[in-house]
Amino acid sequence: MSTVQGKDHIKLTSDQLSVEELTTLVTSPTSGAISVFIGTTRNNFDGKKVMRLEYEAYETMAETELRKICGQIRERWEVENIAVFHRLGCVPITESSVIIAISSPHRRDGLDAVRYAIDTLKATVPIWKKELYEEGEASWKENKECSWST
Amino acid sequence: MSKVMAAAEVQVNVLFFAKSRELVGSKEATLAVPAQTTSVQLLAAIVSRYPSLAVISNNLVLAVNQEYIAPGNDLLTLHPGDEVAVIPPISGG
Repeated sequence: MSTVQGKDHIKLTSDQLSVEELTTLVTSPTSGAISVFIGTTRNNFDGKKVMRLEYEAYETMAETELRKICGQIRERWEVENIAVFHRLGCVPITESSVIIAISSPHRRDGLDAVRYAIDTLKATVPIWKKELYEEGEASWKENKECSWST
Repeated sequence: MSKVMAAAEVQVNVLFFAKSRELVGSKEATLAVPAQTTSVQLLAAIVSRYPSLAVISNNLVLAVNQEYIAPGNDLLTLHPGDEVAVIPPISGG
């Protein structure tokens, strides 16, 4: 049973993400570690040049699924505060699409929880990414973690 | 004299996302479907009404009231106004 009580901060936003905003949210005097994952946008796929990415979400369900992931994390690891922010709409190359920050008394729990959070997000949270290429075409991506991908 | 009973139907709100939204040309629609159904039958009813989805129908899952429905033949009960979402392969993160 975890001895620290913490908060879950979930946000879907079209604003640029700031890692400092998330680390500030999860910082706590009772946590000795803050573990962070940042997902950024790459400029190439399959030899094609990606101009930008567009993200779409089933927002109500995405928030529900993210809260479930927070609950699963709290059952398995001793963490304090969890923040998951995902950007929606247009995300220019090299900007962040997702940031996950987790504070924990000890680093092992936080690092393991962050890995679980991004792996599970990619498998279950109803958010979609479309890549727009230099040559003009576009393609909806499919996570390999998603069990109903092509 | 025999009496013919129509299977009870309900109106549900169907939401389309990503590729399914592009193929259908709309983000949402209402659809009359049997109240007692299965995931397989519900998806078939949606594809029947929106045949442009057929090209991706093997890789769609459904959610009802924001909970995933396991693909298959388990019995599912729908209520008027239920929210049914058509969910192509996801790519968050």
